[in-house]
Amino acid sequence: MEKKWIGTGISLLLAGSILAGCSSDNGGAEGTGDSGGKTTVTLAGWGGNPTEQALLEQTLSDFEEKNPDIDVKLEVIADQYMDVMKTRLIGGEGPDVFYLDAFEAPAMIETGVIEPLDEYVSEDFDLEDFEEPLLDAFKQDGVTYGFPKDYSTLALFYNKTMFEEAGVEVPTTWEELTEVSKELTKDGVYGFGVAPELARQYFVAEALGGEVVVDNRANFGADEVIEALQPVIDQHNVDKTSAQPSEVGASSGGDMFGQQRAAMVLEGNWNIPYLDETFPDLEYGTAEVPTINGEKGTMAYTVAYVMNAASEKKEASWKLIEYLTGKEGMETWTSKGFALPTRKSVAESLGYAEDELRGPLVAGAEYATVWANGTNLPVITNNFNNQFISAFLGDRPLDEALKEAEEQANSEIGE
Amino acid sequence: MNRKYSTRALKEAGQGYFFMSPTIFVLLLFILGPIFYAIFLSFHNVRLLGETAFNFVGLANYERVFEDRRAGIALWNTFKYVMIVVPCQTVLAIILAATLNAGMKGEKFFRIVYFLPTLTSSAVLTLIFMWMYNREGLVNFGLDKLGLPTYDFIGDPNVALTAIMVMNIWATAPFFMVIYLAALQDIPDSLYEAAELDGAGPVRKFLSITVPHLRPITSFVVIMGVIGTFQLFDQSYIFSGGSGGPDNSTLTVVLLIYQYAFKSMDTMGYAAAIAFVLAIVILVSTLIQRKLSKEENLY
Repeated sequence: MEKKWIGTGISLLLAGSILAGCSSDNGGAEGTGDSGGKTTVTLAGWGGNPTEQALLEQTLSDFEEKNPDIDVKLEVIADQYMDVMKTRLIGGEGPDVFYLDAFEAPAMIETGVIEPLDEYVSEDFDLEDFEEPLLDAFKQDGVTYGFPKDYSTLALFYNKTMFEEAGVEVPTTWEELTEVSKELTKDGVYGFGVAPELARQYFVAEALGGEVVVDNRANFGADEVIEALQPVIDQHNVDKTSAQPSEVGASSGGDMFGQQRAAMVLEGNWNIPYLDETFPDLEYGTAEVPTINGEKGTMAYTVAYVMNAASEKKEASWKLIEYLTGKEGMETWTSKGFALPTRKSVAESLGYAEDELRGPLVAGAEYATVWANGTNLPVITNNFNNQFISAFLGDRPLDEALKEAEEQANSEIGE
Repeated sequence: MNRKYSTRALKEAGQGYFFMSPTIFVLLLFILGPIFYAIFLSFHNVRLLGETAFNFVGLANYERVFEDRRAGIALWNTFKYVMIVVPCQTVLAIILAATLNAGMKGEKFFRIVYFLPTLTSSAVLTLIFMWMYNREGLVNFGLDKLGLPTYDFIGDPNVALTAIMVMNIWATAPFFMVIYLAALQDIPDSLYEAAELDGAGPVRKFLSITVPHLRPITSFVVIMGVIGTFQLFDQSYIFSGGSGGPDNSTLTVVLLIYQYAFKSMDTMGYAAAIAFVLAIVILVSTLIQRKLSKEENLY
């Protein structure tokens, strides 16, 4: 009998140590509160290219120099960022500060896992300095939950060589774009490379006064939206002067443009370093997105730093956010032009408005539609994309496809 | 006497369970526990992020499965996939095994070559195939050279699922081939000799001796195939970047479960309900399969 209990004890010990072994790997995130009088703040984000990563580390070490009592632990989540983040937040292992895309923000804010930041903000922080639409993306009921770290808009990238050969001007209206595309399409090259997805087409869809989302429900089956999107479909199926990347064997719009399979694409700031690195010989220029019906429009994508509401080091976390989205930190972070600063003063001092390639992107910030709209946008987007592609490929008429997708989206959303 | 025996038996049983306790513990924690938790979840409206909340909703999640058009599409896609992939990979596996067993030169070499696809990770395989399926890739190059029409395999809803099917048949058939190869060793040579004396050719021998003798293995292979193909996820996930597109054409049931569980908020309960519907579908099809194969059993 004695022996048995000893055995039980040993096996329990073993089991215990196995479990302890499991948890000690992840325990570092929250547990290490104060080590030698220093507060450790964890910051999680997705990875960028090496240059971008170095810039971030530079910014963080500047911050640590200024705040010797705070240590920043950077965690890079390589893939499935939101899945990882949600799981960690549910498990109470969330980082103190993390990136949050405007697209995902409303749903995350609603769950209450994001800390409201208004009470932390001091006068010096200068809220007025932020581009307003970008800041608004992280507000709910007048409360601010995050400060945008950077953004990008879409601009028209055009291949200078092809434009010269065809002897055409850079289009300023959508009609001109359609015409120019006809001139540029030949020998396996398409005039216009298009991304048939809502994230890119949202501003087109709303150009004629229709609304894609109404009261947090899908509304893209509305006649104005369909009418606005029809030219995108027609250019592909009737004119045959546009193509999506997979049709020419490219992986993205930037790739398609770089491989010279499309003379024009609508891409963002990220495309400039990509083209420089991957296709250094390409002769290209940028211009503002052609107007639709006389109105300027483009998309803006933005990401903010937000604080975990369950964080135990809120003061230190705020200091980090304050520095990263403050004038100084932002200037370091955006100094190489990988991302555009969300503060007007920083944009001015870095002079991107006058930059030949980045000027049109900066100009777009004023009239851009921010890619975020309510908590159900992910569901709405998924259903839109699924049916829009079948219309884009000519399998079914646009109105029928979008009306069905709208119905499906709203049934998934429920009441 | 009787009582004494039973304490002894009890003790022995206790000892047995004690020795098994680490395994039982692991099984309970990682297999049975999650299953019961999933059953629990499927009857609730679950909110995990922020304020955790479980609201009992009865069968509402299950009712929703039958109203959800995307769930219908996912089931239909998966069903199509199973109906095409399982027979193809089984037939291909038998043929590969039979040719390898025919005593040709370089048998070992071919055995290794045939088995290689199975050793490759499905994620890597999918990425390689995506290159080959590229609009300008190897497959289209070959089709073009043969004067056949070319396709945008990744972007065209009409062919995307077929592309995944071909890829999967190619990758899983060799695994079942190995099982068939082992079974082929058990067929006595005397049967073949007798058949030869009766004047049977190679095809006749294959159809009348090899195939019937492999029947129990075939039923195993088909059941494993059905279970595996119903759970198709990684290939279609990578192929479509997680969306199940283009136009829901590569949406499978497991991919849909993933989307509801992780992509949209507060639908974990519904995802668990779909998972159970899938488990029931697999169970039923396996039972049907077993019934069919038992009736024809050779032994």
